[in-house]
Amino acid sequence: MPYRPEPDRDSREWWQRIATREFVVQRCDTCGTTRFPARAFCPACRTEAWHWQEVEPEGRVESWIVNHQAFMPGAREPYVVVMVRLAAVPGCLVYGNWDGERPPEAGERVRASYNRIDDTLTLVNWAPAAG
Amino acid sequence: MLDFRDVTAIAGVGYTPFTKDSGASTLTLACRAVLAALEDAGLTADDVDGLATHRVGDSAPPALVGPALGLTDLAWHLDQFGGGSVSHAVVGQAALAVAAGMAETVVCYRAINARSEFRMGGTGRGVPASPEVQYQAPYGYVAPPQQYAMYARAHMLKYGTKAEHFGQLAVTQRANAAKNPRALMRTPITMDDYLASRWIAEPFRLLDCCLETDGACAVVVTTAERARSLRRPPVLISAAAWGGGTSHLSGPAADPTVTAAAALAPRLYAQAGLGPAEIDVAELYDCFTYSVIVQLEDYGFCAKGEGGPYVASGATALDGPLPVNTHGGFLSEGYVHGVNHIAEAVSQLRGDAGDRQVPGAEVALSTAQPGYILPATSALILRRS
Ligand SMILES: [Zn+2]
Repeated sequence: MPYRPEPDRDSREWWQRIATREFVVQRCDTCGTTRFPARAFCPACRTEAWHWQEVEPEGRVESWIVNHQAFMPGAREPYVVVMVRLAAVPGCLVYGNWDGERPPEAGERVRASYNRIDDTLTLVNWAPAAG
Repeated sequence: MLDFRDVTAIAGVGYTPFTKDSGASTLTLACRAVLAALEDAGLTADDVDGLATHRVGDSAPPALVGPALGLTDLAWHLDQFGGGSVSHAVVGQAALAVAAGMAETVVCYRAINARSEFRMGGTGRGVPASPEVQYQAPYGYVAPPQQYAMYARAHMLKYGTKAEHFGQLAVTQRANAAKNPRALMRTPITMDDYLASRWIAEPFRLLDCCLETDGACAVVVTTAERARSLRRPPVLISAAAWGGGTSHLSGPAADPTVTAAAALAPRLYAQAGLGPAEIDVAELYDCFTYSVIVQLEDYGFCAKGEGGPYVASGATALDGPLPVNTHGGFLSEGYVHGVNHIAEAVSQLRGDAGDRQVPGAEVALSTAQPGYILPATSALILRRS
């Protein structure tokens, strides 16, 4: 693994929940807007009250790259990074490695697959959604 | 409101050689470029009362350059955090300071050993300290070529943009660089060369990516009135805009095929009192081929999604209706983080661009990184006096 994420005070619990395969986003208590990544303020109504909301770990493929150059030590090339529009949070793009036997397709439905690194860290990859 | 249009001017430009290893500190490069720009303007360091730069922990700030040149009582300075997004904002802020009377002669510079010391896309450099990278870097997704390749593919998927469109841009800019003695890469390339160049991050090949370069570039900003009395023909700053706010990393981002430039362009054109049809030459931030294509759209030179066919039509060649990156840009001249685009625009408007001169160029657009990584951008419209 090329880089171990360093959670900040806003994101630590998100990573903890992902480690238990609980896929959550934040939902604003005031206006109901969902958001990602983890932040204290709602960008829609600028209030601080919120709660974690478990959502289906699904989205659609908006783009991907096939990486061929060692931009970071320890990465194996080539590898695929996919950009996914998260179904639960309109306007939000998330990233991950591609977990599929074939290349991604534009607009295809994908589902999170969990890559457990160790007891405290799990990464979210993306695989073709069943069906 | 402050009367800004054409009140200030760029009175001189200066360069160090562009190399793969300068053998000098960024402080030394900065001093050389500052003095070269002053010499070009017919000024001396004693005339300087302001210094401005931008950097990302990779260069010498005014607090070092000032004392190094014996400038111990500057009236104004700016040490702007940021990469290519803010290159033009630095000049815009200097122009504001001059227009407001805070300073009279500000030198804006960028000094960077981007090849031998501080590679943007290379290995061996720490991951940037932004909390957002925790959601990307663990997947091996961290370098600008990867990020721009991701957005470029989104554009290809949405609009049918082709590899050959990117390739045509690279070929055209290399042809311009062949006429630029300063350019690092002057050997012409063909579409076959482009298509045969090795993959970096598909859909990007090597020839989609800019040349990380050691070098420095500086421009002198002063009042238009004073510039008229100096050595070189003044180039007026007709508009300067900067702003942004939409992240394409993990934040709210409606459409990755649209950049912050789309929101900034109307403000910029309104300041100058003109539109894209009046632009004679455009120096567009070309960290990658795709960044030019998306800016051609977002600055209104063609419809959204038509940037690829627009380039393929030959429109951006030296003899086309909109010559773009007449110096070869970052792809072929060298990478000085935006300031060499401004200096080339000045050269074109002064009519001293040699073999690559666009006849009769009167109005130029020069732009910064369009806002994909740092969610901000900046741009200038310059005009021959
Ligand atoms: Zn809210």
